[in-house]
Amino acid sequence: MISCHNLTRRFGDFTAVDNISFELPAGSICAFMGPNGAGKSTTVNMLTGLLAPTSGDATVAGLSITTGGLELKRKIGVLPANLGLFDDLTVEEHLFLTGDIYGLKKEDTKSRTSQLLRVLDLEHGRKVFASRCSSGMRKKTALAMALIYNPPVLFLDEPFEAIDPMTSRTISELLLTLAERGTTVFLTSHILSTIERTATHFVVIRGGRIVWNSTAADLNRPLEEMYFELIEYPAVENLEWLGNQNA
Amino acid sequence: MTGPILRALATTAARERKTFRSIATNNFFLVTALLLQQAGVFLYLIGGLVVLFPMSSDPLRKIPADRFPLWPLSKGQHWKLRLLSPWINPITWLLAGLAAWSLRHTESFGVVLLGAALFVIGFLAPSISGEPAFLRWVPAPPGPLGQLIRKNLREILLTLDFYVALLLSISGLIYRLAMRDLPSEALMSMTLLIVLALSSYAQCLFGLESKSGLARYRLLPLEGWKIIATKDAAFLVVAVVLTLPLAPVTGLAGALALLAFGHAPSTEERREQKRWRFSGGASLGSGIAQTIAMAGAGVTAFRISTLILIPCVLACAGSAWWYGRKLREFQDSD
Repeated sequence: MISCHNLTRRFGDFTAVDNISFELPAGSICAFMGPNGAGKSTTVNMLTGLLAPTSGDATVAGLSITTGGLELKRKIGVLPANLGLFDDLTVEEHLFLTGDIYGLKKEDTKSRTSQLLRVLDLEHGRKVFASRCSSGMRKKTALAMALIYNPPVLFLDEPFEAIDPMTSRTISELLLTLAERGTTVFLTSHILSTIERTATHFVVIRGGRIVWNSTAADLNRPLEEMYFELIEYPAVENLEWLGNQNA
Repeated sequence: MTGPILRALATTAARERKTFRSIATNNFFLVTALLLQQAGVFLYLIGGLVVLFPMSSDPLRKIPADRFPLWPLSKGQHWKLRLLSPWINPITWLLAGLAAWSLRHTESFGVVLLGAALFVIGFLAPSISGEPAFLRWVPAPPGPLGQLIRKNLREILLTLDFYVALLLSISGLIYRLAMRDLPSEALMSMTLLIVLALSSYAQCLFGLESKSGLARYRLLPLEGWKIIATKDAAFLVVAVVLTLPLAPVTGLAGALALLAFGHAPSTEERREQKRWRFSGGASLGSGIAQTIAMAGAGVTAFRISTLILIPCVLACAGSAWWYGRKLREFQDSD
């Protein structure tokens, strides 16, 4: 469902993503991990058609990311890093907008909106303008927007961050159900315990290169242990003045 | 504490002023300055300009809203910043100089008091925040783009430009009801003044969008021209409704011309705007070209033929299509 071949993106002299390749079958949940600045967002932006690759190509839901255009955008649901919410629309108006634009029938949009707001515990905030929502409500609204038209591929940038533990579990269960029914999920996250329970595939990127690509079945020790070994966790420098009120 | 903040603001402002194109202005203030100078109330206008201009180009808006309250600043320091920050803008000095020059040529204390009142308003307006309840009453037009048009209508209602235009529209209505033998030229002039009050907004159609909102446009499976069309639809509705008591066809022609010339700066020179402020507009050159086109279209529609609407619609649609493509190109090359 997602097939990536020698994908590279350069910004001037800096290579953000360096020749990465991987394959994800339909119905998989891929956790794309790596430290800040490793190239995760650049990869997601390329796979969602928002950023042209310098070289290489990828197909998502059978469409090339370079030529897929608007058709690609119709086939994917995205929870972007900055959420993509309009300050002057309410939570439910965001879902009505999405339903209208993706061609859902009015009654389907209304019923799916009610169901998603209930499942994501957003019912109390349905009439709240996005600019007045808490960060958790904003994230859940953006997630509901990605889900409402039932796309075959989902790209979720940090879906578990800034979310309460109950909703985090709900999202995790929703993703497992989606995958069972054939939806492919590509997510980034730093919450290793949650993704270890949820993902079927793990890809770790560092310095723009893939340093580990494995299925959950092949993981033979705790994900956290594996991750820190791959990332080469540095010793924290001791800042003498920090916390010392007499300094 | 205020010194470093003012220095940082001055640095930011200086970086923005590297080119002539970067000098943003509000069309309404510029044009009325020229017209009212001849009408003999120059000082009134300059007094307003000195206060209102900083509202539209308030350097304090460079400070992130979440960051400002976290700084350990006293109330006095807040006031000091508010008083001093407009003087970072060289145009404020220019306007103040003009005001001082004008004051030497008048003895009207009433005008000075009016200037002081405007000054107070200038300090109160920035404290308004959030969405007022009436925004919920804005209906969504039918169709797949209805929610986007609703959002764009709400954005217009969050600018002070709209309220100046509304005031002019109400004044026009009263004037028309009170004077049965109203000269037709007055209808045209007042209509154009209303459209002029909205004109700077047409140069910064995406100015009130947050980064998050702009990111959503990139994800939506919509052609660029459709995104611009939702902005245009909201603007035209407002322009026509406000000019209904006077000469709506003239207003429509003027508004279409404004949009035809406003798409370029809206997409190529996007400047962030603040709610409850006057639109800062784009570059001076864009503002002049836009105002001339608006006046030309409006006067032609009023005096010669309403057929001018045809080229106006074509120009607006062509510009929306062209800059819609550009909008997608800019977004995709980010």
